[in-house]
Amino acid sequence: MNNPFGSRWHATSGAVGCVLALVAGCASVPPPTEQMAVSKSAIANAVSAGGSEYASVEMRSAQEKMDRASRAMGKEEYEEARRLAEEAQADARLAEKKAQSAKAEKAASVTQEDIRVLREEMNRKTK
Amino acid sequence: MKNHRFQLAALIAVAMLAGCSTLPASDSPLALARNEYNDAQANPQVTSLAASELRQASDSLDKANKASTKGEDRAVVDHLAYVARQQVAIARETARQKAAELAVANASRERDMVRLDARTREADAAQRSAELSQRQSEAAQRSAEASQRLSEASQRNAEDSQRQATAERLAASDAQMSAQAARRQTEEAEGRARQLESQLRDLEAKKTDRGMVVTLGDVLFDTNRAELKPGGMRNVQKLADFFKQYPQRRLVIEGFTDSTGSNTRNLELSEKRANSVRLALLDMGVGTERITARGYGESYPAAGNDTAAGRQLNRRVEITVSDDGGKIAPR
Repeated sequence: MNNPFGSRWHATSGAVGCVLALVAGCASVPPPTEQMAVSKSAIANAVSAGGSEYASVEMRSAQEKMDRASRAMGKEEYEEARRLAEEAQADARLAEKKAQSAKAEKAASVTQEDIRVLREEMNRKTK
Repeated sequence: MKNHRFQLAALIAVAMLAGCSTLPASDSPLALARNEYNDAQANPQVTSLAASELRQASDSLDKANKASTKGEDRAVVDHLAYVARQQVAIARETARQKAAELAVANASRERDMVRLDARTREADAAQRSAELSQRQSEAAQRSAEASQRLSEASQRNAEDSQRQATAERLAASDAQMSAQAARRQTEEAEGRARQLESQLRDLEAKKTDRGMVVTLGDVLFDTNRAELKPGGMRNVQKLADFFKQYPQRRLVIEGFTDSTGSNTRNLELSEKRANSVRLALLDMGVGTERITARGYGESYPAAGNDTAAGRQLNRRVEITVSDDGGKIAPR
């Protein structure tokens, strides 16, 4: 397979791209210790908000990504670890929110039912 | 060298592809993130209730777009797009939660309103009913009092208006019957007590431990005689009328003398006088089983026997009226 562009200019831009790719792949990134801690606490919050019960998919995804992030940390793949940890944090926050919104909606429907019953009772009493 | 050139070409191709990916495939994570973000932004509930969450999602989406435009690694773009999508979902859930919380708050307010409304209605109804019974009882009270006064006046008038008075009292009872039950009973009891007292007052009755006592003085009998004089008869007639009205009451007639003369004679005289009052009452239609007569002679003096005035007080016939139960305490 030959270079389909072939000109010098394209060779230069290719080289720049190569350098960028090398920089991105380079392991000189510091370990995302802070992000790991933030994500762990987001998962803990989600669990205590009832995430496992109300948003099991997101909860499982967060925990799985957190495990993978820990393994990446062990292998000093810090960029990968940071991304996984960030996604785990997003998953955990979503799970927490889903639990909270489900609970709030349940409370709202209970209250509505209360009012309906109360009204019915009032109407019966005044009749 | 040939191998090296190939590698370079492959890298260039990758870089070019990344650079061209400003319009990603419609099922790529970035395209999904953009669509979902646009949907969320078109939803007024999300924009009003989860504005800051939506802004975070927008920032993340910008980062993903920039990374895509700059032709960064697919994994980086996908990662940023993923985070943006989750943040859009977080904004949606936040809006749902807040809407539900608002509904709960509104519902609590509504419930308070319903309760307040119900309580107000109950209180109003109670108030109305209380006012109504108050008015009724006041009216009944007024009418009862009016009838009572009328009836008392008629009774005080004279013996021959007795029947009229009875009719008045009946009218009074009728009026009272329309009043509240408890009230009516009290009123009637009080009315009766007042009537009784007023009638007994006419007979100059005195309240004693044993009951109301009417004393017929010695002027109603001639000296040493047991026959009632006409003045005595009038008093006895009043008594008879009284006892006809109160058939449940009994009476004890007790005769007394002063210490002048022999004990035996005095005892006999006091008995005879008590008995003639009893006979007079029997003649006037008071049932025999209700009257007991006794003479005590000079016992139980009401005053000293050493003055004429004291002796006059001791010469007497006492008529003791029982309570409603027909009982009189023994002497």
